[in-house]
Amino acid sequence: MQIMQVDSKKNVLMRLKFTKGNEVKYISHLDLMRAFQRAIRRADIPIAYSSGFNPHQEISFGAPLSLGITSDAEYLDIKLREDMKPEAIIEELNDKLPAGIKLRAGTILNERAKSAMGLVTHSRYTVKVNVQGIELNQFREKLDEFMSLAEIKVMKKQPKKDFELKEIDIRPMIVSVGAVEAPDSGGSYFLQCLLLSGSKNNLKPELLVKAFADFSSWELTGVRINREEVYTEYQGQLLDLLQYAEKENQ
Amino acid sequence: MNISTKDYIYDELLPRVEKPGRYIGTEWNSIHKDTKEISIRFAFCFPDVYEVGMSHLGMKIIYHLLNHQKDVYCERVFAPWPDMETEMRKSDIKLFALESRDPIKDFDFVGFTLQYEMSYTNILNMLDLAGIPIKASQREKGQPFVVAGGPCAYNPEPLSDFVDFFILGEGEEVTLEVIDAYRRWKATDKSREEFLAMVAEIRGIYVPSLYKVSYNADGTIEEIASNNESVPKKVRKRVVKDLKNSYFPDKVIVPFIDIVHDRIMLEIFRGCTRGCRFCQAGMIYRPIRERTVEELVELADRLLESSGYEEISLSSLSTSDFSKLNELVEKLVSKYESKRVGLSLPSLRIDSFSMKLVQEVQKIRKSGLTFAPEAGSQRMRDVINKGVTEEDLVKSVEAAFITGYSNLKLYFMIGLPTEAMEDVQDIADLGYKVVDTYYSVPKEKRGKGVNITISVSSFVPKPFTPFQWEPQDSIETLKEKQRYLRGAIKNKKLTYNWHEPFVSYMEAIFARGDRRLGEVLYKAWQLGCKFDGWDQHFKFDTWMEAFKEAGLEPEFYAYRRRELDEVLPWDHIDVGVSKKYLRGEYKKALKGELTRDCRVVCTGCGINLLEEGGVCK
Repeated sequence: MQIMQVDSKKNVLMRLKFTKGNEVKYISHLDLMRAFQRAIRRADIPIAYSSGFNPHQEISFGAPLSLGITSDAEYLDIKLREDMKPEAIIEELNDKLPAGIKLRAGTILNERAKSAMGLVTHSRYTVKVNVQGIELNQFREKLDEFMSLAEIKVMKKQPKKDFELKEIDIRPMIVSVGAVEAPDSGGSYFLQCLLLSGSKNNLKPELLVKAFADFSSWELTGVRINREEVYTEYQGQLLDLLQYAEKENQ
Repeated sequence: MNISTKDYIYDELLPRVEKPGRYIGTEWNSIHKDTKEISIRFAFCFPDVYEVGMSHLGMKIIYHLLNHQKDVYCERVFAPWPDMETEMRKSDIKLFALESRDPIKDFDFVGFTLQYEMSYTNILNMLDLAGIPIKASQREKGQPFVVAGGPCAYNPEPLSDFVDFFILGEGEEVTLEVIDAYRRWKATDKSREEFLAMVAEIRGIYVPSLYKVSYNADGTIEEIASNNESVPKKVRKRVVKDLKNSYFPDKVIVPFIDIVHDRIMLEIFRGCTRGCRFCQAGMIYRPIRERTVEELVELADRLLESSGYEEISLSSLSTSDFSKLNELVEKLVSKYESKRVGLSLPSLRIDSFSMKLVQEVQKIRKSGLTFAPEAGSQRMRDVINKGVTEEDLVKSVEAAFITGYSNLKLYFMIGLPTEAMEDVQDIADLGYKVVDTYYSVPKEKRGKGVNITISVSSFVPKPFTPFQWEPQDSIETLKEKQRYLRGAIKNKKLTYNWHEPFVSYMEAIFARGDRRLGEVLYKAWQLGCKFDGWDQHFKFDTWMEAFKEAGLEPEFYAYRRRELDEVLPWDHIDVGVSKKYLRGEYKKALKGELTRDCRVVCTGCGINLLEEGGVCK
């Protein structure tokens, strides 16, 4: 019996890291996906397609980002029909991506690599806020008080239950929060926070900001949130998703 | 904290509104220019929400055409959704153009495209939001010229209080002539009136303030006269004689958010030769002009490469009439199948429909099938000159069922001239026949779970059609016909879709309205009417109140049968199709006589006399 030769070309999995800038901070997860699909077509990247009735490009994202938040560390996994170097993909695709989306780095994944989506456990954010007439030490004191609470109850909308409000305790999802002065003007601070993120436990930074505003009774204005990095917990360590992929490849 | 208005809009306002992606303006292929190098700013306004406006082909053409001019910067503006409007008014933010976020009150031109009558209040609202005087007579030097074009501009009268000038017909050439006149005018210190007089001399430009309308005692028009000798008595529409050498952009803006028609629209031809008597598009877009297959394939290539779109729609008024459709489809499919680019065909005729073609098209992506018999009885279809038979429909749906389709949509109108209840009954009967046809196809050949959607709209008589003299059915009659159909369509396999007739009534009024309706429009807007094309925003009672306040009878416009020699509000506009031809078609309609497709033999509509040397091929 003759054995049929299967396509000799092997699919290649790749993880790419990109920034989501101010220009695209109002683009939803689904729309961002479509923007990538079209950029991939424009750049004529040899993307793999799923089989089935309506084949789609084999691409997937890491943890979704809320509307209005910028990010330095979004992750995208893609499957290619041909072998290509991450550097080549980055160069070709960056040329065809809308303003505000820029690929920064990438790595080849092994065949059994876990998806970016499934890996995410933590996100680090920087939140810029403005509080009139509050000094840095006052700000820090208030933050320490806030963090020493045994529980922090907030009302959360539940998208799957008709946006019904539910009270949840977010304290266990806050790993750490610190504050530094923002360089531009008085009364502006950066909140640096490490929060649980991903499919199991996920704390949206805007919820933390709201809880802190309620607790302090301060009017927090000019809120700007940026995601700095996304991590996966690996042997007690936090690795970003590219570091993790390299570990997996070793 | 001091931040610029632009940043305020972006960072403070947008987080508060639904779908902020509507207002960001940085989509792929959007044009951003350095305003220091620009002398003419043009705001292209679509008086509806982003998702609707971005689906419009004309805007895509004119946007890139204008931006092709070095000294011109054309930007997009859509009607802000009410939540956005509320935020803008609260913060005193004036209506801005998407690309630069600059207020459009400082622009040179504010241009509106008129695609449907129910968008008119949005025009007034957008001007108000922009801080531009709503009435043309109140605008001063230094304020923009408000210009309007598009299919509804052929009866511009209801908007004549608000628009400085109208562009009639295809805009590719005439828009640039207007820009040219503007360059010359701007170099002088002439008045607004002098600029309007300049453009009035350009063919296809209608300046309503240069015309006077007088009325008879019974409310009909006595005369429409131009103010002076140099203004044309009749304004002739513009057509692009040679599509091949006319401008067509090789890129289109690719939106981030999902829009109504999110695909490449490949315009395969303009005009239509069928001569359906209810259809305004079929008359006003004449003559027929096809692009060649080579041109189209090349254009598709460039558009796909620059956009990354995954679907092409072959767009026209009657795509199955394209003389080389099979060749075009084969070429496109063979070229793009491996790249997984889908094709779609809108509006298929049931007599020239080929299942082989549909299968070819749907190799890559399957979509639904819609057929438009338009009327239920043969008599009725003859009145409207649809030129298709029940046999055509049965044959077509049979072929569709054999191919595996089991969900079809059938499109009809009620309220057509001479319609009786038997004709309405025939719509239901036709639906049942289609279901029977499904069951006549052997089980192993047909798909599972047949469902036929019968979609019924109310007929609106339109200017420049053979039915322009006809009254619309009253709201009561239309409701009764809808009730009747609801009773007659009682089958689980049939789904009946209809709309309340109130919007159709308003459309009938404004489609054939005169200048006096400007007052009604203004009052209705003041009373809070906007987004009238949207069920959740349409306020019928408010509209009726506006009529009362303006002292006008809506019935006069919707329900009155016009005399054949009456002066119609659009009689000073020449679309090329003659009134004589329309009268003849009207008489034939009432006798149920058919007129042939003019590709077969010229039916003498008059369009060939529009340009020297003729325009029909």
